[in-house]
Amino acid sequence: MTDLLRIEDLAVEYKTRRGTARGVDNVSLNLEENKTLGLAGESGCGKSTLGRSIMRLVPYPGKIVNGKIDLLLHEDIVFPKGVIEKGFVNIMDLNEEELRALRGKEIAYIFQDPMTSLNPMITVETHFQEIMKAHDPDIKKEEALDRAQEILDGLGISPERITDYPHQFSGGMRQRVMIGLGLALRPKLLIADEPTTSLDVIVEAQILEEMAELKELFNLTMILITHNLGVLAQTADDIAIMYSGRIMELSPTEALFEDPLHPYTQALLESVPDVSKPDKKLSWIPGAPPDLVDPIPGCMYNPRCKHTMDICKTTQPGLIMNDEERLVACHLFGGEK
Amino acid sequence: MSQQAKAISGVFYFLIPTSGDWKEKSRNFLIGLSIVLIGVLVIVASFIGLALRSNSGIGIWVVGYTILCAFIILIAGAYRRFKLHEGLITPTRGWFLITVVFIVLGMISALVGFFWIPEEAASLSSALVGGGTVLGVIVILLYDVFPQLQDRGSAGYVTMTGLMIVLAIVYMTVVSWWIVPYDPTRLDVGPYGAPPSAQFPLGTTSLGQDLLSRTIAGGGIMLQVALISVVVCFSIGVPLGLGASYRGGNVDKVISLVMDSIFAFPGLVLAIAIAAMLGPGVVNMALAIAVVYIPSYFRVVRSQVLTVKELPYVEAAIVMGARDRDILFRYVLPNVLPSAIVVMSINFADAILTAAGLTFVGLGLPVTVPDWGWDLTFGSHQYIAGKWWVITYPGVMIVILALGFTLAGEGLNEILTPRLKE
Ligand SMILES: Nc1ncnc2c1ncn2[C@@H]1O[C@H](COP(=O)(O)OP(=O)(O)O)[C@@H](O)[C@H]1O
Ligand SMILES: [Mg+2]
Repeated sequence: MTDLLRIEDLAVEYKTRRGTARGVDNVSLNLEENKTLGLAGESGCGKSTLGRSIMRLVPYPGKIVNGKIDLLLHEDIVFPKGVIEKGFVNIMDLNEEELRALRGKEIAYIFQDPMTSLNPMITVETHFQEIMKAHDPDIKKEEALDRAQEILDGLGISPERITDYPHQFSGGMRQRVMIGLGLALRPKLLIADEPTTSLDVIVEAQILEEMAELKELFNLTMILITHNLGVLAQTADDIAIMYSGRIMELSPTEALFEDPLHPYTQALLESVPDVSKPDKKLSWIPGAPPDLVDPIPGCMYNPRCKHTMDICKTTQPGLIMNDEERLVACHLFGGEK
Repeated sequence: MSQQAKAISGVFYFLIPTSGDWKEKSRNFLIGLSIVLIGVLVIVASFIGLALRSNSGIGIWVVGYTILCAFIILIAGAYRRFKLHEGLITPTRGWFLITVVFIVLGMISALVGFFWIPEEAASLSSALVGGGTVLGVIVILLYDVFPQLQDRGSAGYVTMTGLMIVLAIVYMTVVSWWIVPYDPTRLDVGPYGAPPSAQFPLGTTSLGQDLLSRTIAGGGIMLQVALISVVVCFSIGVPLGLGASYRGGNVDKVISLVMDSIFAFPGLVLAIAIAAMLGPGVVNMALAIAVVYIPSYFRVVRSQVLTVKELPYVEAAIVMGARDRDILFRYVLPNVLPSAIVVMSINFADAILTAAGLTFVGLGLPVTVPDWGWDLTFGSHQYIAGKWWVITYPGVMIVILALGFTLAGEGLNEILTPRLKE
């Protein structure tokens, strides 16, 4: 399988009044085509920042200070002011016009809050029309309408409702509309940033199910960002665990749940409630993540870790690959990179 | 429903007992309807009454002619609706038809005015064309737009009331010259400062002008000033606010600074200073008011844009690769416009009051021009002597006109925001 996305040494900094915070610190990862990568970790560990970096949409005052983001294009992207040739393109090298052509067309991004992600002043149809027109100025109105209705139908929204305004839809339906909008142009990569966090559990399950189906249907590659490991257990092929802007562990889903390597992953899994084992004692991780503005030396997790050694307090562990081809950043697993 | 019933719409719809049982309609509604009908009757009767005593001698014919125009437009509207029900024309073509009727009627009216009294062709033609058009618009609003506005609940009624007030005053102003009992520009048509009497129903001014004539004709200046200043303000303030804040950076800082420094002056004082600089005249007055109001638009639009452009749906649009112009005109502008329209309604109302203020301090117009502001100015001196009528009637007219604009603006604002539709 070929990689669709290769991120190398990505670093994002937020310049704040208190100092510079590294939202994402030296992250490297490869994403194979048609796979789903789960991105998990506590709030504030840099999941959204990483996701947005791929779109080059880090919110002010954030800035990508280092790194390469290579995306594989299967076809040339033609837009009014030029062409992006197929093959790997480094998203960091693209200008605004090229980015615009890429956004929506190759990469779709779905936000957490569907209630505010749709323009209250225009109908759902207009949303679809505009997005399609933006990428294909010659598209006919009827054709765009047909396609939009087809997509909505596939998401379980009756096509007549396309003339409705966003406020006439429920939260779950709005998120479906957002997903539909994201997929309207058949992108290759879908980044979903906590797409179901603001929805209730039943709707959450439905939407995740639909997304899994759509993924098959459209041959999507997905990055699913969440703080809910349970969600990832069903949907992700691989899971990356993030902590303080770094990737701590990247393993296939099954392996990660069965035999978590990193102490942080272990602690995270212990804090997930499990209905089938009501006797299991829920634990939490004592302490809080370190301040990103004033990072501590060594491994960022060392003050909270059960296995802290001397080296942990001085040297930052790099991501290393163990013999099962799993990646982990911890001195317990020895070896130099 | 019978064929004729299909063509009955708007307020006229309520004139047919649909279920054959009037009791089913709420009593409140019937009371409301009778108030409206009585109001309309009083207005029509007073127009006709005035027209019969008109100074020009042909007042009744002018009013009659415009009513005839409105009637023709009503028939055209009914025809359109009828065809629409039959499925013979599309709504767009229907409106096209109405527009054509308006244009043809306008041209005919211009010709009628020209041949009727050739010496006064210009003013008669404009009265006929303007009066016919305004009455036609009123009819179309009541007949075709009313049902749609009604769906929007109270906001629809508020808008309608506001529009009706404004249009009624516009109509009165347009045909005023032909229906006034005395020449409003002439001095000494009656005694000085006489109280209301049979001959001068609203009394006379201290210069011996007929107050009724001046009250009827005095809206023109106000309306022109208000309209010009609002158009100027809106078309400068809104794009400026939009552009500056959307792009941000130094341009935004400089423009904001200029706007804030204008804003720092008290409005009327600044308007007086500018009007004094430019000299008297309708356009100058409008410009003076416009300068005062541009910062209001700018500020409201700017602060709104700053909020709106950070909203998730704008970001969602960027993420989907939307074009800049779509984001600006489809996402930002529509969400900003309602606030600009609120400012507009306040601006309209305030422009009228400021225009009155400018005339009040003598920077408006010469005494012969009928203008409510002028009468207020003069009346204020007379009021002390117990001559209440000299300021009451022009004052009331100014308040009504300002009220009309405010109601229309408020209602429109609510209607234009789909969020509030439910
Ligand atoms: N707009 C911002 N300004 C300053 N710092 C920010 C901003 N957004 C995020 N950060 C910093 O980046 C870190 C990662 O944030 P984020 O990517 O949103 O985390 P997550 O999505 O995992 O909850 C946060 O801990 C915060 O310190
Ligand atoms: Mg987040």
